[in-house]
Amino acid sequence: MSSFSIIRCLGLVSLISGVLIVGASLVTKDQIRINQEIIMRDSIAQLLPGVEKQVAYGVEPNGELTRLTSVDAKGPKMFAGYDKQGKLLGVVLEASERGYADIISALYAYDPATKAIVGFSVVEMKETPGLGDKITKDKEFLENFRKLDTSKPIVAVKHGTKKNPWEIDAISGATISSRAVGRMLQKSMTEMAPIVTRHLDRIQRGTE
Amino acid sequence: MPGVKTTVIEVRTSPHLHGPLSVDKIMRHVVYALLPIAAFSVWNFGISAGVLLAFTTLGCVLTEHVTCRLNGNRSTVNDYSAAITGLLLGLTLPPGFPLWMAAIGCLVAIAPGKLLFGGLGSNVFNPALVGRAFLQAAFPVAITNYTPALANGRFWEFIPSSLALPLMKSAPLNDWIAQVRVDGFTGATPLVLLKFDRIYSDPWPMFWGQRAGSSGEMPGFLILLCGGYLVVRHMMDWRIPVAMLSGAAVSGWVFHLLNPTAYPDPLFTLFTGGLLLGATFMATDPVASPVTPRGMWVYGVLMGVLTVLIRNLGGLAEGVMYAILLGNALSPLIDRLTPPRPYGARKPAGAI
Amino acid sequence: MSQEQDNPFLNGLWKESPVFVQFLGMCPTLAVTNSVRNAIAMGLATTFVLVLTNVLVSSVRKLVPNQVRIATFIAIAATAVTVTDYLVKAISIDIYKALGPFLALIVVNCVILARAEAFAAKNNVSRSFADGLGNGVGFTLGLTMLGTVREVLGAGSFLGVSLFGPNFEPWVLFLLPPGGFITLAFWLLLFAWYRDRKARAAAAPAAMQEVHS
Repeated sequence: MSSFSIIRCLGLVSLISGVLIVGASLVTKDQIRINQEIIMRDSIAQLLPGVEKQVAYGVEPNGELTRLTSVDAKGPKMFAGYDKQGKLLGVVLEASERGYADIISALYAYDPATKAIVGFSVVEMKETPGLGDKITKDKEFLENFRKLDTSKPIVAVKHGTKKNPWEIDAISGATISSRAVGRMLQKSMTEMAPIVTRHLDRIQRGTE
Repeated sequence: MPGVKTTVIEVRTSPHLHGPLSVDKIMRHVVYALLPIAAFSVWNFGISAGVLLAFTTLGCVLTEHVTCRLNGNRSTVNDYSAAITGLLLGLTLPPGFPLWMAAIGCLVAIAPGKLLFGGLGSNVFNPALVGRAFLQAAFPVAITNYTPALANGRFWEFIPSSLALPLMKSAPLNDWIAQVRVDGFTGATPLVLLKFDRIYSDPWPMFWGQRAGSSGEMPGFLILLCGGYLVVRHMMDWRIPVAMLSGAAVSGWVFHLLNPTAYPDPLFTLFTGGLLLGATFMATDPVASPVTPRGMWVYGVLMGVLTVLIRNLGGLAEGVMYAILLGNALSPLIDRLTPPRPYGARKPAGAI
Repeated sequence: MSQEQDNPFLNGLWKESPVFVQFLGMCPTLAVTNSVRNAIAMGLATTFVLVLTNVLVSSVRKLVPNQVRIATFIAIAATAVTVTDYLVKAISIDIYKALGPFLALIVVNCVILARAEAFAAKNNVSRSFADGLGNGVGFTLGLTMLGTVREVLGAGSFLGVSLFGPNFEPWVLFLLPPGGFITLAFWLLLFAWYRDRKARAAAAPAAMQEVHS
């Protein structure tokens, strides 16, 4: 075997591989973007019922907002949702925190008018099935986020001991995951609430 | 060893049984030793604990019998070991544990935990703990649903979770607990209270029994008495429980000295959870533990330290079960590392 | 390989099942089979990669010098996996997320390289296609059998359809990785027990005859 045949073989295989990969990428690119946008749109619509129009903002490190055109953009983002009349329903923000097994990342809806969290949904987590993963679907737990006050630090308290509007009633048997949700919301709120308030006029105006 | 007079020559490489002590006689006496603990459990938790213990004992015996017959072999239930496994499994479960789940525990303990390895004498792990580990992993909520001891009406009323329908969840116990509880007793075990709520409980009530917990993990004094009986009759080696308890007490004490607010004192470590029961009746499983005297010490201390490490640093409130299973897994290795010196042989230079 | 056994599709499908006989690709077998849907998706993705790799390897087999054989096969498998990755993302992001890193890890799934090296490098394109398809479907079948047990016990549902109602107590263990090992062990135990019984039944009349003769 000469080194020529080795080079010829590897070159040929690389060529075929390259063509196939580029082809597949071109064919699927648009569909993948559409899928990602649909998922984003659906989860925002779920957090802010009645939403008709959405505007995505990127949050700059200095606290400024920039309009985004693609949901693929890097860095922290927020999504403002408006009803039919163009009235601001709330903003959807991102939060993440270390849970029991791995980082839990979530989206939540914040209503600047009442300064309350009005919706919460987990985007990604690897919590124990049957225990920690209840944070994604447990009805009683998600009820916490129908109207969660943010004027005081948000904390998760033991199941059945919620007394104040800023407390989260933890899932029994999944205290660690529930507490992680409390921490992530508190962390994200301290950071993002002032930014939302500062730019509230602009967000309320929406696209105009 | 100058100055030390030894009267007994011990050459212990295998468990050389001698005299009238046969396997089934020892096993029968272990059952006798467990019965007072079971009786106390019924006094503490009532009819639910009684039915649970009878159910797991029968379940294990039946599983052993049926599995043996299915394989076309002679049934081995007469050696009492399946009955011990059943009793121990029942004693480590919460008194209100759903019976259908307990049945699955029996199946797993006996069929894969013991007979798949070749039956009594070949099992790598303590079968009762294999069953419990499976249940802990499969039903983590049900197995941490503890109920208070000495509840009102416990002798004629089942804990509602006991009778959950097969494959179904048990009803939440909070209302029932609020209704039956005697003042001062809650459903949470002292270890759970400490781990998740940072509430310290006095360890002595555990020693005398009558706190929430697994059906047979209390009372300490009775477990020690029953274990003592087996030791006195030469049916159990005292080294393993002593090593495990002192390993746990000393390592727990070190933790306590380092940070007295976060870690409990050694008495609490000893008397809470399943440590006494586990050290006395489960770590001493003659098949799954080392046979050399030095090995027993290593094995016991290792399990004691592991228990404390899991309790203090892990995500679980109780660590005895996993500590013993890990100890079981290591025991062949420990045996190989600690061979007894043959009688008359000299210690080679440089040996450990 | 004898003549009557020489059907590459059927061999891969059951007789030499990648999951239960060859024990290849255990990583996805245990990791993603906690639901039937994930098991099927993983199986189909692997089938696609297997067929594509087998066909490509078989068609270039005469050009590939021995020294760079493995490198070439891996390059081809990696290409097939990348293409699959794009396709799955385009078909459903949910499935893509459920499969997680294991989709990309198909490239190091031994079953791919094993089939390329053991079969496709020595056989023509149509037979390699059949072999890839057979192994892929066999892999899917194996994963689905694991996924069925794990989803029924672990979540009380089949393909997301609840079987026992809302009061079902899930066996959490079966959704966790140890549950994968345990389920695999019990399937193997069942097959071994069945084979053992069949062998005993076949041996029994023979023994009788010996006694008589």
